[in-house]
Amino acid sequence: MEVFAGLVGAILVIPQGITFAYLAGLPPEYGLYCAIFVTLFCSLLGSSSMMSGPNTAVAILIGTAVLPLAGRGSPLYIDFVFLLCLMVGLIQLMFWLARGARIFQYLSPASISGISAGAGFLIIMSSLDSMLDLSTFQTTFFYEKLYVIASDAGNLVNPYSLAIGLTTIASGYLGKRYSPRYFIIIAVTAGYLCGVLVAFVWPQPITELEYLGRMPLEWLPLSIPNINIEYLMISTKLIPYAIAIAFIGLAQSLVIVRELKMETDQDINLDKEVYAQGMANFLAPFFSGFAGAGSFNRTRANQSLGATTPLSGITAAGFVLILITFLGPILTFMPMAAMSGTLFIVGANMIKWRDIKHYAQVRSELIIYFTTFLCIMFFGLAAGVAVAVVLSVSVFMLHISQLELKMESANTGTVLKVKGALFYASVAHLTEKFHRHLDGDLTVDLQYTTHVDQSAVDFFIRESRQMAAQGTKLTLLINDEQRKFLERLGASSELELVSL
Amino acid sequence: MKISPVFLLVGLSFALATAHAQQNQPSIEQLLQEPFLDDYYSNVVYGYEITTNTQDNASRYVGNSLQCSNCHLQAGTQPDALPLNVAGMYPKWRAKNGKRNGIGLRIRECFLYSMDGIMPPEDAPEVLALSAYVTYLSQGQVMGAEPPGRGVPTLPDTGYDPNPANGRAVYLEQCSSCHGERGGGTAGMPPVWGLNAYNKGAGMNDIQQAAGFIWANMPLGNGKSLTHQQALDVSAYLNLQVRPADPRDSKFLKLLEQLIN
Repeated sequence: MEVFAGLVGAILVIPQGITFAYLAGLPPEYGLYCAIFVTLFCSLLGSSSMMSGPNTAVAILIGTAVLPLAGRGSPLYIDFVFLLCLMVGLIQLMFWLARGARIFQYLSPASISGISAGAGFLIIMSSLDSMLDLSTFQTTFFYEKLYVIASDAGNLVNPYSLAIGLTTIASGYLGKRYSPRYFIIIAVTAGYLCGVLVAFVWPQPITELEYLGRMPLEWLPLSIPNINIEYLMISTKLIPYAIAIAFIGLAQSLVIVRELKMETDQDINLDKEVYAQGMANFLAPFFSGFAGAGSFNRTRANQSLGATTPLSGITAAGFVLILITFLGPILTFMPMAAMSGTLFIVGANMIKWRDIKHYAQVRSELIIYFTTFLCIMFFGLAAGVAVAVVLSVSVFMLHISQLELKMESANTGTVLKVKGALFYASVAHLTEKFHRHLDGDLTVDLQYTTHVDQSAVDFFIRESRQMAAQGTKLTLLINDEQRKFLERLGASSELELVSL
Repeated sequence: MKISPVFLLVGLSFALATAHAQQNQPSIEQLLQEPFLDDYYSNVVYGYEITTNTQDNASRYVGNSLQCSNCHLQAGTQPDALPLNVAGMYPKWRAKNGKRNGIGLRIRECFLYSMDGIMPPEDAPEVLALSAYVTYLSQGQVMGAEPPGRGVPTLPDTGYDPNPANGRAVYLEQCSSCHGERGGGTAGMPPVWGLNAYNKGAGMNDIQQAAGFIWANMPLGNGKSLTHQQALDVSAYLNLQVRPADPRDSKFLKLLEQLIN
């Protein structure tokens, strides 16, 4: 069972590895090494049946981070990618040391869907480059690129490449109807056959098609990342990206792991998964791979085939190694247009209409989703991740700083019931209520209050002095724990405390 | 004797320009020692590594077992052996494809024909690195002017047609110790025919060009020892041998040809 799931995982990851390496601006073999070694280490060290490996968002971020420093795919570029992956691994290991897995619970599902949709949009845009056979050109905003393509389509677009790309996409969508699990494989095969047909009729000097080329694959591609003072000086520019990659990689992995934990009865330790992911990314550069993260679709395929242990990931890594040794020569004449056609499908699948409808029910969720998505469209993935984090944390903050207050009139005066956490951010809310009610004795019922901090105690002391000056009295209804805290802060002399 | 000040000025500035170029340019050996290189120089070094060891460094687009430096001798620095200091000659029109060729397209066609491989995309790192290396080698050359020793020498008309039979005799006597009796090459020496050699679209498949190269540089280290006629004969003999098909011919047309015949 596990072994068969591993085989399917291996077949699924090969096109992903190649295309995501293209997104990261690296030669395809690095994507395959990532598919082998990141999956292997993550499964060896982790505790779940999650399939790790090349990941879209991580690949895009690697590309945008390193591109300003060196030309795509040049040796210097690869050196910087390895350095970046080392940093990502280290940052993720720091998360592990700080037991930081909990942080990712604050990233709301809406923002993760928004990031995924935005990444899908970026993937579609970058798939256009090689599907239309444009030489890569940089534009500030995506619509400039669309405008340039549309305005000079006759000269820019390579019809052979476009035909192969469209065949791939069409067969992908057709295949999805009949075999939702293997449609990527169907799409790639159709694109490949179309490419063979084109090459059969027209020679390459006419079509100018871009092919994958021979992959110089090794079984054990050991490499030592170049580290010296100059590299480190320049790579300080990569730190913000390293943080973003570490964060988004872990966030995706942990969302998958959490889903697995809920849906299956696997014995999963979140911190151990963080450690496994961090260690895998840290070790990846030593095996010529780049950083990865958990993969939604492969984990789902894995799960539907009944895999429950890390063994499936380990066998998947082994199968990739075996498969590419045989597939390598066949893949040589894989047209890049077919690969980018599959990228297009992958990207389009990441923008889910279902998600939009789901989040449209709650306004704050919808705002998070669309703000994240638009930020990624216009300012790139790193900015989008930052915005998503800030937004979901601030929505979360807004929610917990909201107090539920209830005024009740009792025979001893007015009773104010406080529900929620009473801390510096929520005290302001309480102040309004207090100032609207200045006459008569006031009893504040704190038994449903989850947390009381020093500023709240200061507030109560201040208020009780004011009220004493006006001849009224403030009473707090508290439990034992709150009493200890309040007495330590010296509130017992100023306030009347009543235990429940 | 009175020298025109204009001439003096021109001469002086020319001398300064060449001195400037030579001073600023670190040698490849120096570059290889550096712990860190910027984008340009790292590409130059990568281009140099591709030139000297194409099989390991640009294997993605290579289809045979040749190296760039098999024809571009001394990593493209030897005159009369297709030296690579030609950045100033491009872009130019070439009859081979009837197009305006930039240095990038020229390099890509090398992969397609001489290396019998796949034409890399314009922005492939290998192509960019080789462009950087060609630019590096061309420092100090005058734009548009033909550098000395460009390409291979054109042999004068000997008055006789090339004779492949005589070429075979010369080949067996002078060339086969390195290139093998069956043209397959030996360790470190390139094949000259067979499926691991350049294809029929390559410049070396042109009798005149190959003869010029052979006369100027072969046998290796003992160039210009053959007569013009001998070089032409060997070249004609090589031209007759089996080698990969011209990639410009469509495979479909090939199939049709065979069906008709």
